[in-house]
Amino acid sequence: MHLFRFLATPMVMLCLLYLQGCTAWQINQLSAELPAVGPEKTLEKLEDIDPPDRDRSKYLLNRGLLKFYTGDLAGSRQDLEQAKAIMMSLKAVSLSENFGALTTNETLRSYGGTPSEQVLVHAMLAMGYLFSGDRDGARVEMLQADVTMSQLGDTESVSGQLASVRFLAGLVYEMNGELDDAMISYRRAHQIIRARKEKVPEALASSLLNVSLRRNNENRNDAEYQRYVSEFGREASLPGAHEGEWIVFYHDGVVTNKTETRLLVFDPNLEAQISVVMPNYPPSRYQTRHLSIKVGDIRNTEVIEMIEQRAREDLADQSAKTMAAATVRAITKYQMVRKARESGELGGFLANIAGLLSEQADVRSWNMLPSSIQLARLVTPLDASVGIVAKNVELPALNKLGSRHYGVVLVTSLNNRLLSYPPYEGLESIEGQPNEQ
Amino acid sequence: MKIWVVIFAVLLFSGCGTSVERVDSDSTIDLSGAWNDSDSRLVAQEMIQDVLSRPWITDFTTRSGERPAVIVGTVRNLSHEHINLKTFVADMERELVNSGRVDFVASKDERGEIRDERLDQDLNARDDTRNAAGQELGADFMLSGQINTIIDAEGKQQVRFYQVDLTLISMADNRKVWLGQKKIKKLIKNPSIRY
Repeated sequence: MHLFRFLATPMVMLCLLYLQGCTAWQINQLSAELPAVGPEKTLEKLEDIDPPDRDRSKYLLNRGLLKFYTGDLAGSRQDLEQAKAIMMSLKAVSLSENFGALTTNETLRSYGGTPSEQVLVHAMLAMGYLFSGDRDGARVEMLQADVTMSQLGDTESVSGQLASVRFLAGLVYEMNGELDDAMISYRRAHQIIRARKEKVPEALASSLLNVSLRRNNENRNDAEYQRYVSEFGREASLPGAHEGEWIVFYHDGVVTNKTETRLLVFDPNLEAQISVVMPNYPPSRYQTRHLSIKVGDIRNTEVIEMIEQRAREDLADQSAKTMAAATVRAITKYQMVRKARESGELGGFLANIAGLLSEQADVRSWNMLPSSIQLARLVTPLDASVGIVAKNVELPALNKLGSRHYGVVLVTSLNNRLLSYPPYEGLESIEGQPNEQ
Repeated sequence: MKIWVVIFAVLLFSGCGTSVERVDSDSTIDLSGAWNDSDSRLVAQEMIQDVLSRPWITDFTTRSGERPAVIVGTVRNLSHEHINLKTFVADMERELVNSGRVDFVASKDERGEIRDERLDQDLNARDDTRNAAGQELGADFMLSGQINTIIDAEGKQQVRFYQVDLTLISMADNRKVWLGQKKIKKLIKNPSIRY
C-alpha cells in the first residue's frame, strides 16, 4: 500500500505528460494530412488544439504559416512575431527544464526551434510584410535574419545558413534600389549553395549577373561580373525600357515529420545494454515537383532550398548532444529500476514501466513548412500577363500592378491562393482542388 | 512543519498573479532594449528643438514676413526593428505645432479626408458655414528622414546603435536648409540562465 502511495504522484505526472504528448502527436498528424486536406481545413483543426506552454512556439509557427497560406497576413504576422519572441527568450538556459530533460525526457524543454527554423521565421515574416505592401517591414526582417544567421554560423559550417533567405534579402534590397546590399546577399546565397555543392538556380544566376552589372554602371569588364559570366556561361539580360521582372516563389509539399527510434547502447560501467530513444527522420519520399510558368514559352521554377535536407542536417548536428543526454538519462533510469527491484518485484516492475513510458524522443519541429522552396525570375513586357499553368491563373501585367519594374508572387502546392507584391486582389483560380498539379 | 508549508506556498504562488502598476508616461522603462516610447519622445523633442533654433526660420520670416509652413513627409524605418513611426511622427508634429513658431500643414492622408469633407459641405452645409476649395495653405518646407541601425551581437551581448537623420527641404527650390542627426547607443546583456 505504501509503495502504491509512493508511486501515485509520478504515475499521475506520467499520465499528464502522455496527454500533453497527445497534442504533439495531433499536430504531427495534421501536418501529415496537410497536403491532402489543404491549409484552410488544417488551420480550423489546429485552432481546436490547446498546446502546453513549452510547445507554444511550435504551435504558433505552424498556425502562422497556415494563416499566411490562407491569406490572413495580419494574423500570420502576429503568430510568427510571437513565436520569434518566444524562441529568442529561450536562448537562456533553463535550470528546471534541463533538470526535467535529464531526468524524464527531452520534450520537457520549451521548443526553441532548429537553426533553420530560427532563420525561416524571418523569411516567412518578410514575405508576410511584403505581400501586405510593406516593403520596409520586409527589409526589417531581412536585417534581423542577417543577425540571426551571423550568430548561428561560423566560418567552417553552413548550419543555419539559408540560401533562400539570402536570396529574399537580396531581392528586398534590390527593389529598394540598394544594389550594394543586394549584391552582398546574392553573393552569400551563391557561396552557401556552392558550399553545399548544390545547383545554382537560374534565378540566382540572373540576379548575380544583373546586379553585378548594374552596380558598376553596366561596365561589362568588371572582374566580378566576368567571373559570373564564365561560371554561368551567359551574359546578363537586363529588362528593357518596356519590360519588368516577375520573381516567382513556389512552396512545394510539406516537410516530413520526425519519428522516434529506439536504440540499444552497451554501457561498460553497468555491463548491460540500455535502451535509448532518439528522434529521427525517415528516408524522404519527397519527389520535387516544379511549377510551370507561361511567359511566351514554358519555364519551370527551380529549387533553391531543400527544407527536407536542412531539417535532416539540423537534426544530425544535434544528434551527438541528444545521444549523450539520452544515454545519461537511460543509465539513471536503469539504476532507479535496479534499486526499486531490490525493494520488491512489483516496485521494480512499476519503475520499469514508468521509465519506459516517460522516455520519449523529441519529435517536435516546424512540420508544416514546405519540402522545398523554389523560384524563377522572368523578364516580361510590362503589358504582358504571365500564366501559372497548374493553377489556371493569369498574373496581371506589371503595369496593372502599379509596378514598373518588379512583381513578386508566391504560389504553394497546398491551395490555389496566390500572394503578390504589389498586393493584387483576386489572384486565385476558380477551378481546381488543393494540390492539383 | 505547518509554517514551512505556508512559507513554501507563499513563495510558490507569489509569482503567479498579474500585477499592474501605473507609471508616469514620461518615465523611461527599458525592458528588451528595443526602440521604445522614451526613444521616440526624446529624439523627437531634441530634434525639433534643434530645428527651431537654427537660422533658416529667421531667414524665412525676415524674407517673407510670415511664419514658415511645414509638412512632415516620409520618415522611413531602415532599422533592424519594427518601429511604430506613427508615434514618432506624431511626437514631432506635436513639438512643432506647440512651439508656435511655424504653421503646420496637414499630411497627405489627412488632406484627402478634409477635401472629402469640403466636397460634402458644398452639397450639404449652409452657405455662410461652407469652406471653399482652393484655399489651402501650401507648405514651404518638408521634413523627412530615416532611422538606421547598426547591430553588433556576440553571444548574449548586443550593441544597438540607432541613428535618426532628418532633413528639412525648401519646397520652392529643393534647398536643404537643415540636417538633423540624433544617435542612441545601447548595450544589451541577455540573461544566460532562466528558471
